Amino acid sequence: MALRDLTYHRPRSLDEAHRLMAAQPRARWIAGGTDLMIRLKDTLPRGCGLDVSASPPSALISLRGVRELRGVELSSAGTRIGAVTPTSDLLDHPELRARYPALTQALCVLGGPQVRSAATIGGNLCNASPCADTAPPLLVHEARVELSGPEGSREALLEDFFTAPGQTRLAPGELLARVHLPPPPTGARALFLKKTRVAMDLALASVAALVVMEAETCVRVRVAAGAVAPTPLRLRQTEAALEGGALTDARIARGAAIAAEEIRPISDIRASADYRRAVVEVFVKRALTTLRSAPAGRAT
Amino acid sequence: MRFLLNGHETEAAPRGAETLLDLLRESLGLKGTKEGCGKGECGACTVLVDGRPANACLLPAAEVEGASVTTIEGLSPGPGQLHPVQEAFVDAGGIQCGFCSPGMILSAVALLEGNPAPTDPEIRRALVGNLCRCTGYVQIVDAVRLAAQRGGR
Repeated sequence: MALRDLTYHRPRSLDEAHRLMAAQPRARWIAGGTDLMIRLKDTLPRGCGLDVSASPPSALISLRGVRELRGVELSSAGTRIGAVTPTSDLLDHPELRARYPALTQALCVLGGPQVRSAATIGGNLCNASPCADTAPPLLVHEARVELSGPEGSREALLEDFFTAPGQTRLAPGELLARVHLPPPPTGARALFLKKTRVAMDLALASVAALVVMEAETCVRVRVAAGAVAPTPLRLRQTEAALEGGALTDARIARGAAIAAEEIRPISDIRASADYRRAVVEVFVKRALTTLRSAPAGRAT
Repeated sequence: MRFLLNGHETEAAPRGAETLLDLLRESLGLKGTKEGCGKGECGACTVLVDGRPANACLLPAAEVEGASVTTIEGLSPGPGQLHPVQEAFVDAGGIQCGFCSPGMILSAVALLEGNPAPTDPEIRRALVGNLCRCTGYVQIVDAVRLAAQRGGR
């Protein structure tokens, strides 16, 4: 079996997409395909999907042409990003950049131009890699995900969406329809840092941070990390240690040390667990040192 | 399915989830688009879809229905003539074995279309998805800079 033997559906609406999936439950959703096509090439005919024991899909149902799943809507209530909007569109979106600079920084280093023109934000999340670049910035912005099934849709916190490497809370037949972002808190500053061995590589560790300062006091901190646990992770102990006081060098150092303890990294081909802890400690320190003095709303 | 291929209305019938790369090379006989890694790492298969660089090796061909696709064969302004970016690659020595050149040149064309006077870091960032295993990157960056200086797109 080769790619050409795999039936490829291109529904134009969400209803049509769900009808197609209901008719062939062994089909798979595909969005940009920059992860899935590689996996299909690697594993056909042995099986495919992150669960390598699974048999190959009976068909692919492409979501790229589903209009309801594309585009960015900004309002005072927040931002809705259609799951199959290409990441290149999001990177080029001036208002997204102004509201969520950490997300733009992550999009900047998500693959190269050829990958970004295809890869979607929904695919980046549903692939559920611990190192997904868009996950840490979306976590510090407390994103919610809208899941669409044949019976209707439901919402979940992105933080609860990931369950294990390659695994999410999506039920069979469900798809990720939209990412909802609340408006950034007034005066919020955010940034994203990613460590790779070479350009256009997967992160060996990444950190996103958001702070709100009132005079010298840090009234809100959100920190998230990628590639250092089975899922992208909010670092709640780190946040608790930093929130509600001045961001002095000493408090930042303590927060960064807690971050290095709070993560659950493994050693693999990209880095050792020890190195990942060291990188996260440095990144948390660097992020907060930068953000305590950055102009509001701006990243470096 | 119908799409615009190098400016010409084209009819094709992609089989299942076959890639645009296979459709171009096997069904349409356009061998200028190369297969390197087949995994979206090397960029040898770069084509422009509606002006944006894309890895043809990962793109299901069915997705370009109604789109405009440019391959290296579509750049020439006339018989026997080279595109200004191709000229610059020749003049700057930005070609060794040539396998990465179609993809490099298409990425460069897309860059110059949106940014006619890129800085060197901008050139390098635009080419991050294109690998040259002869490692002639210095001349390749020179070539893109030269094309920009000549105002060639």
